Amino acid sequence: MKMNSCEHVDKVIDYRLHRLTGKQEKEFEAHLESCAVCRQEMAIELAIEGELAVELKPGFIEDRVMVHLRLRREQGLRSLWLYIYRVIVLGLTAAVVTFVLMPFLLKFPLKSFFEISQLASGLDGLLDGLPQVNPIFVAVGFGYVLLIASSIYTLARTRRWQ
Amino acid sequence: MTRLITIHKGLVFTIIMRMTNDYHTSEDLTQDTFIKAFMNIKRVKSGEHFRPWICTIARNVARDYHRRAKNSAAVSFDQVKEFHGHWDDSIRKRVVIQDALAKLAERDRMMLTLTYYQGLTLREVADVMKMTESNVKVCIHRARKRLRKQLEGYENELV
Repeated sequence: MKMNSCEHVDKVIDYRLHRLTGKQEKEFEAHLESCAVCRQEMAIELAIEGELAVELKPGFIEDRVMVHLRLRREQGLRSLWLYIYRVIVLGLTAAVVTFVLMPFLLKFPLKSFFEISQLASGLDGLLDGLPQVNPIFVAVGFGYVLLIASSIYTLARTRRWQ
Repeated sequence: MTRLITIHKGLVFTIIMRMTNDYHTSEDLTQDTFIKAFMNIKRVKSGEHFRPWICTIARNVARDYHRRAKNSAAVSFDQVKEFHGHWDDSIRKRVVIQDALAKLAERDRMMLTLTYYQGLTLREVADVMKMTESNVKVCIHRARKRLRKQLEGYENELV
C-alpha cells in the first residue's frame, strides 16, 4: 500500500455507483469525514463524473444534413428510373433472344453441330435415344432465365448506388 | 427533422467525440449519423426508441471510422484550444480526462460516455450496448476503475 493511502479508497467508486449496502454506505460516509485521502479520491471521482457528463456541442450541422438528405433522395429517385429503364431494355433483349435468335440458332447451326460431333465420336444413334424436346421451349426457358438473372443483377447494382 | 437534429446533435456529437478525439472528424461523423438515421427512420418503432437507436448508429459510425483510421489520435492541446477558444484549468482537466478515455477500450469508453451523459437511463445504455442492465452495472464499475488507473499521476490537474 502506498504512503498516505487508505484501505477504503477503493470503496469510493462503489459508493458513487451505489454498490454498497445501506450499512456500508453509512460507515463509509462516516469514514469519509475523517479521511483526507478518501476525500481527495472522492473529489477526483466527482471531477471525472462531471467531465463525463458534459455535453460537447458541434457547430450548426442541420442545414448540411438536410442538403445531403435531399441529394441522396434525388439520387435514389434517379436510380429507380435507371432501374426501370434497364429492366425494360433487358426485357426487350431477352424477348428478342427468346423468340428470334434462339429458334434461329437451334434450327440451323446447332443441328449441324450435333451432326458433326456425332460423326466425329462415332456415337451413332445416341441422339435418337434422348427424349424429344421442343427447341422453342428451350429457347423460352433460356430467355426467362436470362431476364430474371439480369433483373436481379440490375437491382443489386441499383441498391448499391443508393 | 431539423428539430430532431437540434435536440440530439449534442448527444451524438459527444459520443463520437469521446470515441474519435477529433473535433472536425466528429462533426462530419455526426452529420453522417443523422443522414443514416433519417434514411432508415421507418425502422424506429416509436419516438422513445429514437434516442437509443441513434446512439447505436453513432457508435457504429464511430467504430467504422476507427476501423478505417486504425488508430485513435490523442487529443492535441491546440485542437482543444481551437475548440474552446481559450485555455484554462477546466480545459486542462478536460484534455487529461479525454486523453485517459482515449486509452481505454472502445466498449469502456462508450459505456462511460453513455452512462454519465445526462439523461440516459440504464435501460437505454443497456439497449445501445446490447447487454442486460446488471451486466451494464458491472461493466461500468470495471470501466471506472480502468479510467481511474489511467488517471494516476494526474490528480493535481483533476482537483
